[in-house]
Amino acid sequence: MSSREFFVNRYAQLGWNFRVAEARQAIRINQTNAKSKNLPERLRSIGVQLEKAPFLESGYWVGKSKVSAGATAEYLLGLYSIQEAAAQIPATLFTALRGKTVLDACAAPGGKTVELSDLMGNTGSVVALDVNKMRLAALSNQLERCHVSNAVVYNLDARQASRLSLKFDRILLDVPCSGNFASDKLWFNRRTLKDAERNAQLQREILSEALKCLAPNGEIVYSTCSLEPEEDELNMDWAVKNLNLQIEKVNCHGEKGLTEVFGQKLDASVERCKRIWPENTQGFFVCKLTKRTVQP
Amino acid sequence: MKQLAMFASQFGAKITLNPELVVEKAQRYYFLNATLKKLARGDFYSAGLYLGKVKNGVFFPSFNLLDMLVDLAANKVVLDRKTAWLFICGRDVFRTGILRVCGSKRKGAATLVLNEFGECLGFGRITGSLDEAEGRVVVRNILDVGDFLRRER
Repeated sequence: MSSREFFVNRYAQLGWNFRVAEARQAIRINQTNAKSKNLPERLRSIGVQLEKAPFLESGYWVGKSKVSAGATAEYLLGLYSIQEAAAQIPATLFTALRGKTVLDACAAPGGKTVELSDLMGNTGSVVALDVNKMRLAALSNQLERCHVSNAVVYNLDARQASRLSLKFDRILLDVPCSGNFASDKLWFNRRTLKDAERNAQLQREILSEALKCLAPNGEIVYSTCSLEPEEDELNMDWAVKNLNLQIEKVNCHGEKGLTEVFGQKLDASVERCKRIWPENTQGFFVCKLTKRTVQP
Repeated sequence: MKQLAMFASQFGAKITLNPELVVEKAQRYYFLNATLKKLARGDFYSAGLYLGKVKNGVFFPSFNLLDMLVDLAANKVVLDRKTAWLFICGRDVFRTGILRVCGSKRKGAATLVLNEFGECLGFGRITGSLDEAEGRVVVRNILDVGDFLRRER
């Protein structure tokens, strides 16, 4: 059985019939910078065709355009960012971000760091970590381009976040993952189940560390662009059962999380997670966690 | 701070930043808000608004700093749409592409370069008289926002 057949068969077992999909290019308007500039109209006037993504406040898909959306003056001035539509969801799930202390634990290349800062209106502080120093240059460029003034960046492994001796009101864990076929044409040739299992272990370690840094009444948003349940629902089931976390209801694009995976029954609350099978977007998984106040 | 003030003065601008909130690290300057100042450890990679760096004794401004100068600077040129596009592609500016000039028109003066919306695209140096130099380069491009794309190469 080829790698492709193996994974396609797994998706069928999870209730989704494989079909070829490719994530459409999308942009997110940086509201803090683009306020009262009527950016969609301005972009249309220079030949960038936009279509509103119905499930996003500030997100648009880019249609056939005369110019590259990544090389306009408006992009270079930080009025918008190129950010895949599903990837725009996690930061929007936090409540009341303004003035808060926020951790973006796996931050490079910085699309979500900029989004967090935008949603915070450059108030409070965002602490952005990444273990890969090479990727921090890209992150810093994004912050400069978008005029982010409330972020501090460290070259630090998310599994060592407690070394900062800070407590965070909000923690974004957009964890390293196996990715998915909609954003990588060679995905089926590159990936094995072992990759997903190895990533799942790393993700559990990051989640455990993040919990040490979470302030009382804090929120964690966990996301991956993996379709493999080991990195998604199975990890959340583990978190509920081992880390005293609870999964919060969220109102966003996506299907309910799976509560039965390859014959294994998961905690019923895992259905509050959101799973996005690829169609207009890449494959994605997202959920919001808080500390459980009452023991089950 | 001295480097920042000297740079701003080239444009006829006086920059006033709370020196307690300006942090220098490895010859790079950052402007922190009060919250970040309390929270940031010394081993950060970057923090707050990056203002620029000194390399071989020369100050290289960030686009954040140029943006701060827009409301302060006396020297500005405003470009038409086509010239603005050419400028961010790294080209120099011809007199015909300039819609408006504020401040100094003196040869050798530094000037901010803005688009028709008043957004800062970079800066340059005046190389010829802005009054009479039809058809000639009058502002030499020194830095433009297209630099963000060039850095990625």
